[in-house]
Amino acid sequence: MTSRVMRDFDLLLPESVAQAITLLATHKDKAAVLAGGTDLLVALKFDYDIDNVVSLALVPGLDVLEFDSERGLAIGAKVTIADLLKSSDVKEYYPALWQSAKVFATPQLRNTATVIGNILRASPAGDCSLAIYALGGILTLENATGRREVDLDDFWISYGVTARKDDELTISLQVPAPATGQKSAFRRMTRVTEDLSKLNAAVCLQMDGDECTGARVAMGCVGPTLIRLPKVENMLAGSVVTPELLQEISDTVASEINPIDDIRSSAEYRLKVAGVLVKRVIKLALNEGNDQ
Amino acid sequence: MKKHAITLTVNGEERDLIVPSNRTLLDALRDDLGYTDTKYGCGTGECGACTVLVDGKTSINGCLTLAATMDGKSITTAAGLARDGNLHPVQQAFIDNDAIQCGFCTPGMVLKAVSILDENPNPTEEEIRHGLEGSICRCTGYTKIVDAVQDASNRLSGVGE
Repeated sequence: MTSRVMRDFDLLLPESVAQAITLLATHKDKAAVLAGGTDLLVALKFDYDIDNVVSLALVPGLDVLEFDSERGLAIGAKVTIADLLKSSDVKEYYPALWQSAKVFATPQLRNTATVIGNILRASPAGDCSLAIYALGGILTLENATGRREVDLDDFWISYGVTARKDDELTISLQVPAPATGQKSAFRRMTRVTEDLSKLNAAVCLQMDGDECTGARVAMGCVGPTLIRLPKVENMLAGSVVTPELLQEISDTVASEINPIDDIRSSAEYRLKVAGVLVKRVIKLALNEGNDQ
Repeated sequence: MKKHAITLTVNGEERDLIVPSNRTLLDALRDDLGYTDTKYGCGTGECGACTVLVDGKTSINGCLTLAATMDGKSITTAAGLARDGNLHPVQQAFIDNDAIQCGFCTPGMVLKAVSILDENPNPTEEEIRHGLEGSICRCTGYTKIVDAVQDASNRLSGVGE
């Protein structure tokens, strides 16, 4: 059992990106960045020990949520899940992201938790992260020596570990603009709505009439990180999505995933239903399934 | 550990206090300022007993918020909903619909109901249930609570008056 009393640390409140970066350069692995805090504070009440917490509360300019038909969607480090749900652009152009935000945790947590925090958590069960993984995205990180961009495809290294260096601040995420004919969807399975997903799936399909010309298919809760399903993506690319193809895809999914037994589900169950979930999320993206 | 001088406006009243870095908003409200209507349930953002509203409408978990990051913010607890000695229509609806048993979840539930109705004055039952996620009642169930929110929605929009 835990007392759930938070450990001692110094809260640092920089008032600009530059100040935040200076603090990270000074404290490096002795500092954690606090945006929404819904993961960090829970960790600090359990087994996580850190000397300094660098809060972004007073840092301006990180709450930008902006859609541009050429550049796509820019999401700043302080944009919350609830902010996504208030955006008609997210709903219209990025259905997978909107659907994942809608079922994300609880209202209180959606009001606090940030989109980028969900990505940085590097959880294999992240909902918003998974939708963004399917849509694709580029993160901008900054440290004292400058900025660099990291593709989300190269960002998650293992459970809880990302390509972010200790002295880097994640500034923003850029999700590409949807081409005409892009369709996306997200679905997850939980026992009750507030649970973390026991299985989740997201797809982004590039459609030309009935033909799928390219696909990104991502799943969570089936490995140490969120993963893409290359075999399924290849089956979709260049194909007309028929019921027969969907069945073949459904039968293939199990060979691409490596789930474990844990508190939320069993490996056996996950292997059995993953194919069905992927089939359903594809149908949802093509508007043949019910919205959730 | 660093300490921080902050000002919170709680239920319309400005309160100055000094908090250590690791003080949660919930502990500051309960232990430093005496707003014990805000409850400590799970401490990990799951049960919603510690729910408060920021700027009168945004529900957050007090247990997962550091007090020192809330300097200058306006906080509403359940005790701050009444006006001039009259209960808020949501509070009255909870009483009239017997939507309370032990009462521990009630302050959070009432505040969640206020935020649901602020965003959507005429929610469907499904929207109410989706909005109440994150607030857990362990006594009895949610039927009467959902009824109370529906009733409050009618009262606030003048239906049946």
